[in-house]
Amino acid sequence: MPIQGLEILQSSASLRGQETGIRQLPKVSKYIDTTTCIGCKACEVACKEWNDLKTIPTVQTGSYQTLPTLNAEFWNLIRFNEQEFEGGLAWLMRKDQCMHCADPGCLKACPAPGAIVQYANGIVDVNPENCIGCGLCETGCPFDVPRFHAGTGKMAKCTLCVDRVESGLEPACVKSCPTGCLHFGTKEDMVTLGVARVKQLQATGYANAALYDPPGVGGTGVVTVLAHGDKPELYGLPRDPHIPVAVTVSKRILKPLGLLAIGATIVGLFGHFMKVGPKRPHAAPPAGGV
Amino acid sequence: MAQVVTPPNVGHADPAIAVARTTEDVLVGERIVRHTYASRVMHWLVGGSFILSLLTGLPIWTPIFGWMAYLFGGLQVCRWLHPFLGVVFSAGLLWMAASWWSQMSMTAKDREWLSPGYFAKYLRFEATDPDTGKYNGGQKALFWFALLGGLALFLSGLVLWFPSDLSQPLREIAWVLHDAAFIAFFLMIIGHVYLAIVEPGTFESMIDGTVSKAWARLHHPRWYRDVTGDQRK
Repeated sequence: MPIQGLEILQSSASLRGQETGIRQLPKVSKYIDTTTCIGCKACEVACKEWNDLKTIPTVQTGSYQTLPTLNAEFWNLIRFNEQEFEGGLAWLMRKDQCMHCADPGCLKACPAPGAIVQYANGIVDVNPENCIGCGLCETGCPFDVPRFHAGTGKMAKCTLCVDRVESGLEPACVKSCPTGCLHFGTKEDMVTLGVARVKQLQATGYANAALYDPPGVGGTGVVTVLAHGDKPELYGLPRDPHIPVAVTVSKRILKPLGLLAIGATIVGLFGHFMKVGPKRPHAAPPAGGV
Repeated sequence: MAQVVTPPNVGHADPAIAVARTTEDVLVGERIVRHTYASRVMHWLVGGSFILSLLTGLPIWTPIFGWMAYLFGGLQVCRWLHPFLGVVFSAGLLWMAASWWSQMSMTAKDREWLSPGYFAKYLRFEATDPDTGKYNGGQKALFWFALLGGLALFLSGLVLWFPSDLSQPLREIAWVLHDAAFIAFFLMIIGHVYLAIVEPGTFESMIDGTVSKAWARLHHPRWYRDVTGDQRK
């Protein structure tokens, strides 16, 4: 059920006119400063507690990382990336969760009407009532975030704690962060905060520091400060994420072309029937041929 | 060469239909048996599972056909039912491949049938090739394209059925392939169904298995000559 009190901006597999309401809400965003993250995983715990996610066995990946990748019962994962640089080792921790893209590939890929919605404040959410668990949102996601939950048969991912946000609270992960590397507010404020932090980093020796807010997906509802902003891959982030080409080919090319071809064929054959008519044997076969 | 069967004593049942339970390509009285009971069951296993796959797949393809999902109880039902119907469809096609493979081999004559010039004549009902056998070039082409399309739909469908543990490129390729193969297959089947409507007697041959002599002579003259022994062209 869509959250009460939040207008819907976009809805998956829906024809035109799905926007509801007239209220213009400011876009919200999470702010993540990877340079002040200490990898304490308080956000992982807070996420599981608030969202009532079942305890699942952790996996030893050779680092402090809890699991190799996101899980239907684990929507917020701190990734521990060890990188050797000249002069030493860097421990690049990054909070992996749904990025709440302004142009969401999951929503574009989803075939079930209203199973993925984007609220007026920019939050992208799965609506389990309509989800059919096909997994196409996972294929459509440039960040590999949605996961199939075998128990419910539905897809699951970070909701940006939309149930807290609509009541004026910050997301559980932000609430729990002890170092202040996580903030929550309007997208505008979070970008301002990020730009200021990037300038500070650049002035203190991190010349390549940058704010990760990729334009290829229209910007994200999670802005991330990276000390090594020239190499987002080191953090496991795609350099220039876009909605995968299969989504575009399927939805923008094959769907209209296919509908047109099917319609044209049926109309054309009806015309053929009127013009040429049924092919029946002649009463008496004409001499010299059938 | 002629395959003429004396009408059996089958009580009130139609003698030709009775023969068609087990035998094809024979003349029984005024009717020619074209498809055995097994062939017809096979055809409708493929055809029926295709139609059900279509009705459960179209609403997933685009919400324009969303209403079809309610025939089955909703889109969630379609999502789990569609793959199983696809398996039945693929199994039917496999059966079809095994039983029709050899009689569908393409000859030089068939390739000529498929040339744009001859095909255009065929569509105007002006084609009069006296050597068309039991299956014409178009029917044989349909058979091979159906097998090819079925293979593409089956393999891509498997990926779409269990996408979670598969790689991103594989999932993307499967998605596009399933869409493209289904559109091509559907167009082909629209033509197939249309020909069964526009050529009276054809649809019945897939129901009771028999056709009239005139039908056979008109559509498949060489087959008609082989079965009846009537060599007039």
